[in-house]
Amino acid sequence: MQPQLKSKVRCADREVGEVAKVIMDPLSFEVSALVVSMNGAGERQVPIGAVQTVTDNLVQLRSSSSEVMALPPFKREDYVTLHEVEIPGLERHVHVTPGEVLVPFPELERNVKRRTFFANLTYVTGLFIGLPLVFPVLKYLMKPMYAPMDNRWLKIGNVAKVKADDVGVQFQYKRSIKEAYMPESLIEKNAWVVKASPAVLEKVYQGKDMEFRDAAGKTIWTNKKDTPYLAFSGKCPHLGCAYKWRNHKILGPVFLCPCHLSIYDASGKVLDGPAPRPLDLMPIQVSASGEVQIIDMEFKAGTKSQTRIV
Amino acid sequence: MRDTPSAGPQPTVAEKVFAFVDERVGLKQLTAKMLNESVPGGSRWAYVFGSILLFIFGMQTVTGVLLMFYYVPTADHAYASTQYIIHDVDYGWFLLSYHFWGSSAMVVCVFAHMSQVFLWGAYKKPRELIWVVGLALFALVMGFGFTGYLLPWDQRAFWATTVGVEIMDKIPVIGDFLARFLKGGPIPGQMTLSRFFVIHVMVLPAALIGLAGLHLFLFRCAGPAGPFRGTPVELKAKTDYFFPRQIWKDVVGMAMVFACISALAFWEPVVLLDEATPDPGDYHPEPEWYFLFIFQHLRLRMFSGEFGQFLASMLLPGLLGVMLLLLPFFDRNPERNIFKRPLALIGWVVLTVSILLFTVSAIINRDFLD
Repeated sequence: MQPQLKSKVRCADREVGEVAKVIMDPLSFEVSALVVSMNGAGERQVPIGAVQTVTDNLVQLRSSSSEVMALPPFKREDYVTLHEVEIPGLERHVHVTPGEVLVPFPELERNVKRRTFFANLTYVTGLFIGLPLVFPVLKYLMKPMYAPMDNRWLKIGNVAKVKADDVGVQFQYKRSIKEAYMPESLIEKNAWVVKASPAVLEKVYQGKDMEFRDAAGKTIWTNKKDTPYLAFSGKCPHLGCAYKWRNHKILGPVFLCPCHLSIYDASGKVLDGPAPRPLDLMPIQVSASGEVQIIDMEFKAGTKSQTRIV
Repeated sequence: MRDTPSAGPQPTVAEKVFAFVDERVGLKQLTAKMLNESVPGGSRWAYVFGSILLFIFGMQTVTGVLLMFYYVPTADHAYASTQYIIHDVDYGWFLLSYHFWGSSAMVVCVFAHMSQVFLWGAYKKPRELIWVVGLALFALVMGFGFTGYLLPWDQRAFWATTVGVEIMDKIPVIGDFLARFLKGGPIPGQMTLSRFFVIHVMVLPAALIGLAGLHLFLFRCAGPAGPFRGTPVELKAKTDYFFPRQIWKDVVGMAMVFACISALAFWEPVVLLDEATPDPGDYHPEPEWYFLFIFQHLRLRMFSGEFGQFLASMLLPGLLGVMLLLLPFFDRNPERNIFKRPLALIGWVVLTVSILLFTVSAIINRDFLD
């Protein structure tokens, strides 16, 4: 039977104290020593060999009380509790509370300086491995995010379709897109073309030609202020929905976006709704035969300033 | 339970296997620890939502993995493979519809669970960490819904995502980077689908499993909070154990949720719209129903303009999130009775009612647009 914690300890001559802790050998799972609390006179480590009998509440020692008192005092720092180490399977062999069962603390582990150095070495190694990976991984994930823009002219139709002034006419066209490894695809897009009267033209250009520049600042194209045709990007500047040309009960014929009810007049100016800026214009060329060409552009939605993204 | 030996002299095969494993692993102790958790004040129907959420997540994982046997996450095959699941694979329509309605059920139960915890004051000391981890889990569930929605690649999926990511663009400083990161470029396309797929089936599930584990661990450390009425002595007297009483209620809850989702899957199976095109045409973009209340806020006049839109879609929800996060840290009053916490009760009622109102009005508004 294993000695119970708090059992009284009796020597050959008299009772000396009680079992305070139990020391176990982590390899054999056997109790190797007892720590006896000597009735206020400190603690002594008593090897298990000195135990004669163990009963429910009493541990009987072979030695006399003076022999036990002569033993060296118990050195707590040489041991760790079962809370600090894990000995697999030990609980099945132990019948005392884990906190009071001690196992010897290995000599090698005791040198704090060596442990700190080793811990730091592990962190440094981790950094050596991790840090150089941050940049490549970031670039890896960012690959498609800032692709260069395509400035080809696309034919979208003929101005013969535009029957009246200051009226939105939808032109549908196909744009070829090559995304990463995907096969080249044609996507259907639309633009709204308005043949602007001089008044509307003035509202749009306000006396200045409209310049389109690339990221480096070089001019790609200039829409002259006297060209009567306007090509609006088919995406609403609020959140990118496709808007329509509709007859509004009060405002008359307008551009109306069904998503959040932004309303624009024929010059693209915001009449109502959450749109942050007027309709976006695209570079436009009209040939002598009436062929309309545009550079298809898309702009970031929801911002007051106009930023090109496609 | 297996704690008591069988009445007959010979142990059954099951008991022998149990004893074999127990000798090596301590199975008896483990099962005792898991099942004999005490629920002070007794088991309650109000407590079932946590377990229900775990159940729903399990079902979503199972149906999700099954869907992945046929679904292909490329722009040229996503729609066709989803239609294949719906029309050609046996019971594919049911599995997909179950997965779809399961995600809505998850959002409803998350709201119920959070409300229950809030109303019972179970976020207060010493349960602050459980609440914080819970909020992270809530964000993950919203992320799941947002990323999964894109995968069928029909008009509804594509445009709800486009609008949603554009909203994220409005965050100052990091918004453009974040939106481009999610989209995999300036506009949504194949890169977006790839990213959303990876996030939906790998990144978020890994995070959810980790955080849910942490959530449960922290919960077991602190123990159930129990009812907000009754002295500690009364509550201890009425203690139930997790098994069998609370497990019974949890199982009934799970069965009912399973029945509801199955019924919805059966009677309202997923029907895809047309395949996504870069031009929405006649389609009016709309987010999933649980984002509709924010969607509706964006229509209000007071939130017009760039800053107004940012305010309604990002700043105010963000502030609400921060308030919820800090809740256990500035609400130090140990009082847990909701009827003695008027501010909390009013706050919850106002929030719930306004979310409901905005959601309903968004649905009504649909018919307004031509």
